[in-house]
Amino acid sequence: MLLRFLSRRVVATVVLAFGVVLASFVLTNVVPGDPAAANLGQQALEDPEVVAAWRAANGLDQPLVVQFGNYLVNLVQGDLGVSQQSRRPVLTDLGEFGPASAELALVAVVVSLVVGIGCGTWAALRRDRPVDQLFRVLSLGGVSVPLFWLALIAVYVFSFQLGWFPSAGRLDPGEAPPPKVTGMYTVDALLAGDLATFGSALEHVILPALVLAAFTVGLLTRFVRSSVLEVLGNDYVRAAHAKGLPLSLIVRRHVMRGALIPIITVVGTAFASLLAGTVLVERIFSWPGIGSYAFRSATTLDLPAIMGVSLFVAFVYILVNLVVDVLYGFIDPRIRTA
Amino acid sequence: MSGPRRRVGFAALCAGALALTACGGDAEGTGATAGDLPETLVVDKAFDLKTADPGRQFEVAGTIVGRALYETLVTFEDGDLSEVAPALATEWTVNDDATEYTFTLEEGVTFADGSPLDSDDVVFSINRVKNLKGNGSFLVEGITAEADGPGTVVLRSEQPNPQLLRILPRPSLGILNADAVRENGGTDAPDAAETDTAEEFLNSQSVGTGPYVLDQFSTSTETVLAANPDYRGEAPPFQRIVLRNVEGPTQAMNVQSGQSHIALDLASEQLAGLRGDPNLLIDEVASPNIWFTFANADPAVSEITSSPDFREAVRYGIDYDGLLEIAGDGAVRVPGIIPNVFFGALDQDQAPQRDVERAKAAVERLGGPVTVELEYPSDFSANGLSFGPVAERLQAGLAEVGVNLELKPGPIATTLETYRNGQEQMGLWLWAPDYPDPADYLAFGPGELVGKRAGWQAGAAPEIERVMAEVAGESDDERRAVLFEEFQQLMNEEGVMFPVFQPTAAVVASADIGAVPFHPAWTLDLTAIGR
Repeated sequence: MLLRFLSRRVVATVVLAFGVVLASFVLTNVVPGDPAAANLGQQALEDPEVVAAWRAANGLDQPLVVQFGNYLVNLVQGDLGVSQQSRRPVLTDLGEFGPASAELALVAVVVSLVVGIGCGTWAALRRDRPVDQLFRVLSLGGVSVPLFWLALIAVYVFSFQLGWFPSAGRLDPGEAPPPKVTGMYTVDALLAGDLATFGSALEHVILPALVLAAFTVGLLTRFVRSSVLEVLGNDYVRAAHAKGLPLSLIVRRHVMRGALIPIITVVGTAFASLLAGTVLVERIFSWPGIGSYAFRSATTLDLPAIMGVSLFVAFVYILVNLVVDVLYGFIDPRIRTA
Repeated sequence: MSGPRRRVGFAALCAGALALTACGGDAEGTGATAGDLPETLVVDKAFDLKTADPGRQFEVAGTIVGRALYETLVTFEDGDLSEVAPALATEWTVNDDATEYTFTLEEGVTFADGSPLDSDDVVFSINRVKNLKGNGSFLVEGITAEADGPGTVVLRSEQPNPQLLRILPRPSLGILNADAVRENGGTDAPDAAETDTAEEFLNSQSVGTGPYVLDQFSTSTETVLAANPDYRGEAPPFQRIVLRNVEGPTQAMNVQSGQSHIALDLASEQLAGLRGDPNLLIDEVASPNIWFTFANADPAVSEITSSPDFREAVRYGIDYDGLLEIAGDGAVRVPGIIPNVFFGALDQDQAPQRDVERAKAAVERLGGPVTVELEYPSDFSANGLSFGPVAERLQAGLAEVGVNLELKPGPIATTLETYRNGQEQMGLWLWAPDYPDPADYLAFGPGELVGKRAGWQAGAAPEIERVMAEVAGESDDERRAVLFEEFQQLMNEEGVMFPVFQPTAAVVASADIGAVPFHPAWTLDLTAIGR
């Protein structure tokens, strides 16, 4: 059954990928503007030979249909083209920027899970009491405050005023990255047994991750609260109370299990959006992630990079949704057997 | 730097299960000691970096990097653009009509790998730039480079090229180790645009004679340079230079908190917050970039903007002083099209002055108030200045004389297209010099690069074009200066361009490395810091 489920997903993924490629290609090409103008200097643009050489080097001298066909053929072979900005294969770029965003997203999600589930559960158990009101205000603040503003304030307070965290980059200036395994510096440094680099990578990732977590913590707190409240009213929870089970056991064993389904949906969506890149936060922290890459690609009409990012984002959402669906089955046997 | 404080805060946060007091590295690794220069210089710059290959780079960050890695035949010393100084060439001669330049190379110069430099390297480097058909190719377009023995290079052109000596210091024309580049896929052949594959190699290591060598290269995070231990000149003062990709607002906080030594992209309001900080030294000057607006001279684009009366209304209706307020404290009016850092620039008192009555009279001759479109890029800024506020102030000033601007902002990728096609009724743009010679500004004349974008075709202003032709063939700098002044005076009378200002350009440096001047040609000269 799982195999059939996965097969259906793979077919859907291929169809979706084609749709994403087609939409990205068409939309990028219908936008008024010439990639050559966005990439070449003023003087160079006046030289037809230079413009022709640039177009030829980037495969833009072919009719659009041929360009699209070539892209598809290369895509099947795992070649996403060469970025006009970084002048490297897009796949290489994604392999560098993707893990950077993933590292940020993972830390943000871990923080969100711990804080969001804790606060949401506590708020539900103390419904309408001061702590519930407090968490309501804080979670509303978390989902309402613009992240770029929060990022600037965080840099000002924790980096500039208090000096607790660095404000830019993934490592200290000039520090060599650890040998690449996952592309996530904290993980790779640990794998290499390099604690100094691990420490540097961790202190660089914490502040931007906390800023990103502000939104997901707020979101999760509200969802967990309402889910837990819904479950708390069920007969089996009342029965557990009646049996005299301790509250912590009831919450762990009976309440959370029932409340997890909507929570996983929220976490999955939030994780995917973080993985897909958060442009402003990444730029403020000079974090070389997918968001920064997407921004630079879009502003320079870097077609291969734009399409590469679009595909990456689509795959992230597909993958996360797949994981969420599989997790549903594990948590709720009724879904597995349905 | 601020490592210890960071450790405390970080450890406090990590305290408990992770016991991360041991997880930190060695602060920033800069090794600063009191009274000495730090071992590592950290420079924050918002990256436009694309490549470390001199033949392919033309961006600001690329120029900064290239200048430190590669030397050129001649150079500018201490930011003085008026005199060209020896670099790899110890002396040179120029024939009377500026069509033949003969350079004598310094003897005993070696590349970072120890191999000797000779004329083949120079010829290869210049021909490669020309034949790569890239952003910098126009610099040596029409130039033929030939070796005359191992120590002499001759550059020839069919047309007089009096600006060549001021073009050659551009880091795009840095001299590479030809053998090393050839071994790694490089070529200077006419088909180099299709066949040269040396960029990846040049992004992994440098092959120049400069005081620094490339250690790490990234277009997204940081590029690291290391001291060249075999540099023939004075030993580089820093063991390493880290050029980091950091946005403006963060740069200001970094340089103030000691997390970096130099900030390069600060807006006027950010600079205001740093003035008076005893730990910072700020060099604030007028940028060589000029901001200008134009009125399209093509009646097919606009019957209104192509009218001489409209030009007069705009020229005397612009609120130049109001625009200067936006441009920052170090900004200045640009009286002609040539900025004040180059010879041939006009004096401030020669700038057109606002004359509301004269502008209104011109509008009356047009038949009363008029409305035209003003296009500008909305997602682009330079010297910390965005186009939006400038366009709005321009709009407010001209509205007072009856010229109503309908603002049409757009992404630069699209506005640049309409600008290039000469379709904008009015445009607001900036021009950054390609090389520090006033000849670069002939592009604003009729039939030239910018002129055509404003619908100003060849033959539209015979008197201006006569001066342009004369100055293009003139090799004597004194006479050239006179002609460039005449060119601008005529442009100010009948031209379709309206130069507005040179914005503030600033370099903010921490006091422990000393003052760092803004370089009018390269923005920042890394090789001059700490000397």
